[in-house]
Amino acid sequence: MKRVYHVVAIPIRIVLNTFGDHDPNGMMYVLKENEEKVKKLVKKNPFTPVDLVQPLFIRANEGDTVEIIFENKLPFHTGIHFQEAEYDVFQYDGANVGYNEDSTVAPNNKILYRLHVLKEGNYFFSDLGNVSSGEEGSNSNGLVGGLCVQSRFSWWTNPETGKVINSGQYADIHHPILPSFREYVWMFNDEMEVDDLTGNRPINHFSNQEEESFHGANYRYEPENRRQQLISEGVVCPNCEGEEVHHDSWVFGDPSTPILRGYVGDPAKIRLFHGGVKETHVFHYHVHQWFSDPSDLSSEIFDSQAISPQSHYTIQPLYGLGSLQGSFGDAVIHCHLYPHFVAGMWGMNRIFDTLQDGSQCYPNGVPIKALKPLPDRNPPPKPTKLKPGFPNFIPGKVGLKAPRPPLGIVGGRGLTELERHAAIENPRPGAVFTDPSPANAPIKEFNISLIEIPLIYNREGWHDPTGRMYVLDENIEDVCSGKKAPEPLVIHASANTCYKINFTNRLPHILDGDAFQLVTRTYEVGMHIHFVKFDVLVNDGANVGWNYDSSVLPGETIQYSYYSDVELKAWFFHDHLFPGTHQQHGVFGSGVVHPRFSNYLDSATGEEVDYGSQITVSNPLIPDYRDFALFVQDFTHLFDKNGKPLAPPPFPGSPDDPGLFGVNYKNEPLQFRLDKECDPAYSFSSFVKGDPVTPIFKAYEGDSIRIRLLQGAQEESHSFNVHGLKWLKERGDLNSKLDNQQHIGISESFTMEMHVPRSGDYLWTFETEEDLWNGLWGLIRAYDEKVPELIKLPDRADPLKQSKPLPECKGTKPPPAEDPTVIEVKGPHRCYDVVAFQTSIVYNSFGDHDPHAVIFALREDMQAIKDGRKKPEPLILRANVGDTVDVTLTSFLKQELFPFQDGIYPYPIVKEQAFYPPSLRISLHPQLIDYDVKTSAGETVGFNGDQTVGPGESRTYRWFVDSQVGACGLWDMADIRNHKSQGAFGAFIAEARGTEYLDPYTLKPVITGANVILRNPLLPDIREFVLIMHDGVRLLDKNNQVIFDPVDGILLAPPEVDEDLLDTYDQGSRGFNYRSERLINRYEEHPVLHDLFSSKAFGDPSTPLFESYVGDPVTIRLVTPAERRRSHTFHLHGHRWKFDTKDIFSRTESFVGFNVAGAASNLQLLGGAGAYSGFAGDFMYRSGNIRWDIEQGMWGIMRVFDELKKHLPKLDN
Amino acid sequence: MAQQNDSQTINDVRQQALVEYFSKKVGRRVFILTESFPFMFIGKIINVVDDSIELFVQTTSVPALEGKTWFVHTDAIEVFYIETGVDAKIPDLKD
Repeated sequence: MKRVYHVVAIPIRIVLNTFGDHDPNGMMYVLKENEEKVKKLVKKNPFTPVDLVQPLFIRANEGDTVEIIFENKLPFHTGIHFQEAEYDVFQYDGANVGYNEDSTVAPNNKILYRLHVLKEGNYFFSDLGNVSSGEEGSNSNGLVGGLCVQSRFSWWTNPETGKVINSGQYADIHHPILPSFREYVWMFNDEMEVDDLTGNRPINHFSNQEEESFHGANYRYEPENRRQQLISEGVVCPNCEGEEVHHDSWVFGDPSTPILRGYVGDPAKIRLFHGGVKETHVFHYHVHQWFSDPSDLSSEIFDSQAISPQSHYTIQPLYGLGSLQGSFGDAVIHCHLYPHFVAGMWGMNRIFDTLQDGSQCYPNGVPIKALKPLPDRNPPPKPTKLKPGFPNFIPGKVGLKAPRPPLGIVGGRGLTELERHAAIENPRPGAVFTDPSPANAPIKEFNISLIEIPLIYNREGWHDPTGRMYVLDENIEDVCSGKKAPEPLVIHASANTCYKINFTNRLPHILDGDAFQLVTRTYEVGMHIHFVKFDVLVNDGANVGWNYDSSVLPGETIQYSYYSDVELKAWFFHDHLFPGTHQQHGVFGSGVVHPRFSNYLDSATGEEVDYGSQITVSNPLIPDYRDFALFVQDFTHLFDKNGKPLAPPPFPGSPDDPGLFGVNYKNEPLQFRLDKECDPAYSFSSFVKGDPVTPIFKAYEGDSIRIRLLQGAQEESHSFNVHGLKWLKERGDLNSKLDNQQHIGISESFTMEMHVPRSGDYLWTFETEEDLWNGLWGLIRAYDEKVPELIKLPDRADPLKQSKPLPECKGTKPPPAEDPTVIEVKGPHRCYDVVAFQTSIVYNSFGDHDPHAVIFALREDMQAIKDGRKKPEPLILRANVGDTVDVTLTSFLKQELFPFQDGIYPYPIVKEQAFYPPSLRISLHPQLIDYDVKTSAGETVGFNGDQTVGPGESRTYRWFVDSQVGACGLWDMADIRNHKSQGAFGAFIAEARGTEYLDPYTLKPVITGANVILRNPLLPDIREFVLIMHDGVRLLDKNNQVIFDPVDGILLAPPEVDEDLLDTYDQGSRGFNYRSERLINRYEEHPVLHDLFSSKAFGDPSTPLFESYVGDPVTIRLVTPAERRRSHTFHLHGHRWKFDTKDIFSRTESFVGFNVAGAASNLQLLGGAGAYSGFAGDFMYRSGNIRWDIEQGMWGIMRVFDELKKHLPKLDN
Repeated sequence: MAQQNDSQTINDVRQQALVEYFSKKVGRRVFILTESFPFMFIGKIINVVDDSIELFVQTTSVPALEGKTWFVHTDAIEVFYIETGVDAKIPDLKD
């Protein structure tokens, strides 16, 4: 079916909330039929949100051809680039890339885009005519939208009227066979320009400083600052106080942000898009869970999901609205990054239990809009006087804070008559209006308190004087007296458990002020839980919408009730009342829901336990395992032993990236790990400075282990890596791919299940440079012989008796690791001779260069690179499944070639810079493939021997390719400050057994290279393109001046760029494969924004140009070995691939999110080059981050020919 | 033991053998793994009806399905173990 939309890009004033905050230079796509109407409404309502001013959301059905007549009424060229769709890139790309036709549109002109939408799902669209990241750019001002593609034969109606609609954020989707469902579109927007009513930047009423940047959804935000202002000025509830009050509809009425309305049990889909330009957000939706891949029943279950710019998911809540327990009320939806939440990035899912026909009102007299029941479901009961339905049975008073729940607070009140009519038959504390637990479920009771206690993070005395933590009541005395080391609380129970929690607020009323924050009265707290089933009205541990305030005052105890229906990963809990104020002090914990019938044992004594971050689990049906919980933290407010604040913000209370990092209330900064000779190469060695204070997880060789990975605080992305082990990406799916890295944002939870094949010390890290530098690493220690402090797993054989003393720290260099090559090789054997040396790398034709790069190369190429006959490229090694690979590494590093002899780089920087002189030793660490960590991990860790090499020294690592994992990162682990962002990285590709690697132009066998043909007797010839995405590079320009990217690369930059915009982890230049096509260089030569990707105007970019023919099988290997914490999205125009290449049920995508240190993906292009429809032309690959990647050079071209070219032999398929 | 004749496929023989074996064990406890949901059953064999096993299910992966009678088709059985009193006992599992 052909479906036609006439879309116009218009300038529009976007009013973002009822306080009149607005973007005066807003831009939006709108249907032609609404253009005049929206303009009139905005003119009439200059300070009030207008419903029609929302990102354009249109719909089509799978298999449709969608024609967009696009008209540009903005004063510069714009276009619409659609992700996920197939289209003729030459004409319909919505951009001007390579040698394609220009498919952007001049002002007041039109163009036709024709798209093929082959698959149900989310199709993000945005402008590529103006990719400036500044206030003049199109994307941050709103020129984004979404096409929601439904199953074939669907149609859609307005949920309020039941009439057919053409666009809009809310629709009911119907189908002749499938159930109807509510469709809500939620699009994150960030970094939009915002003025207040007076036309000035909004001021924070508390700090009197300019407000933080805009964070919202669907062009709306509801900042805490604005609502608090109403309180402080006495407009509402003068005695109200607290962060969470600003989500309370009893005080303020409903917010301007999206409220997704439905009835209990309604099937629903949230089409989640990231239409912002910079930040990775975490979408969290209270009460509900969903499959990470709706089409794959074996996929992970989430209730928080990180999302990076220009990426998207479908969130399909399991069991429909209200989840399994049928909970009704307000379920808040928000970005879990607290500064964003506070800034206004939140809304609600309002679940009614009675019919809304438009005749009812909210308690504040605002009419409740009608909501048509879904036609194939029984309508809910009509409201009656005795049963008025949510929210009208709640005994709140408008203008005052929400009431506390009935029954829950010990010594508190019972039910009112209306509450009794709304309640379940046998209400109990924490389960009044919905009972999440079946009648016979076993009950497990925990007594938990929240206390304040100083937390000491490391041996240097770095500490948080106002640490706050959850603790079991029976352990309070031991923790406070120092008998028990403080650690985040982790409680353990099995599936089919009814939790009874007695939670007591033992915090002081006041959180004291210091360099990080102002004095804050944190007088009420709670315990908000994830994943488990509960009654949202009384048990959310929050104060949201028209619900109750389910927190308690100091000294009070509240009873909560939850149910774990199935085995879950670790469920996160935290306070929802003052999280922005004190969660970073340690207010987080977790429960782990284990398989039924499990027993939990103290790993040292074997006694039964029900809490602990490191325990042993025994089960009669499945293999026993070790269970380890790890919480990463940022914004950690630390002082050194002399009381000096570490990395304080510019002023107390500023959310501008304050503080440092921790893991389980500990850190082990590398600046304190230097040996007497100050060689960074031994920073991770326990021989030199002893074991780290961070967790060391203990197991015996061969044990099964589960790592529960959580992020406790507060705003940033982190990249968890385990060196030498691997796990299934989707734990319950044997077809899933193997991984050893996981991006995480706050409140996400992942379980990694694996076994430890050999004894030795395995390094776990949060791998990005600043995290690792500041101490986010530790060990998994696997013993080969019995040790007194660790019981064996009950179902495994006894370990060997101890025959040798355990190694000890003697303050001396580690002994060299044993030589792994003395063992005879069986099967195919491949050897590589690799050298590490310094050279200059030229990043583009404009002369941007790194004169002090450290690179790996094959020895045979070293001289040619040094002579300038060969351009440096990241080292790419390949081997086949079944191969044994011996890699001999030799160091040729020279002291005098390092630019900063103290290791302190003036730019880009990391927090807490310190003396860390460059190491002349170097190593080569691979991901995912198999090796003995004691000899071949390419790093010197724990009590493993030294695996680094000094100048003139060589060492051979032995690796086994045991699985076809494809892309693996390779990098140095000897000196993470002076080597890696300088270029000491590459990739290792594990190919199918029997594969040969050919040069695509000569067809001769090659040993290395980013562009090869894979020839295999059982497979078609495949083109393999390797892209190494990296950042944090210190570049000089052609005049040898330092390039201060990203600022120096901003197009249409304002005269003065606010330096505070930049976090440390945004600093540095970036690109692919040692190349960066910075748009500013092009713009200075030819200042036409929409031409900046054009090869007609500039020639081809310096980044890799990958050539192929239509239909050629293509696999892209994408790795991110280095370096900074900002996560990048990768997008290739006009193509899709399976999210998980190993899983046939996997969703298809045109993006890869979360490219941070350690990320590795394999993209097998569906339909090959040119996709199923076989289109030729120039397809751009690029970052999805408008701010600050595309401008700064993170883009390139995949060229697809439809005619034979002399220089490019065709594949022999 | 079921014998294959000319008109029977090997699958017929397998099914017949299973039916015969389960029929002899009526009243005993059994542990069964299936490829599809709910993947695991522990229970007592009540009867064999044609080629389906009637079970009183004591334990599965989901508590809501327990304490009920279920029919499991022999084709769905991937792995099974029937307690005979001689070899290992199937554990009595309690939450």
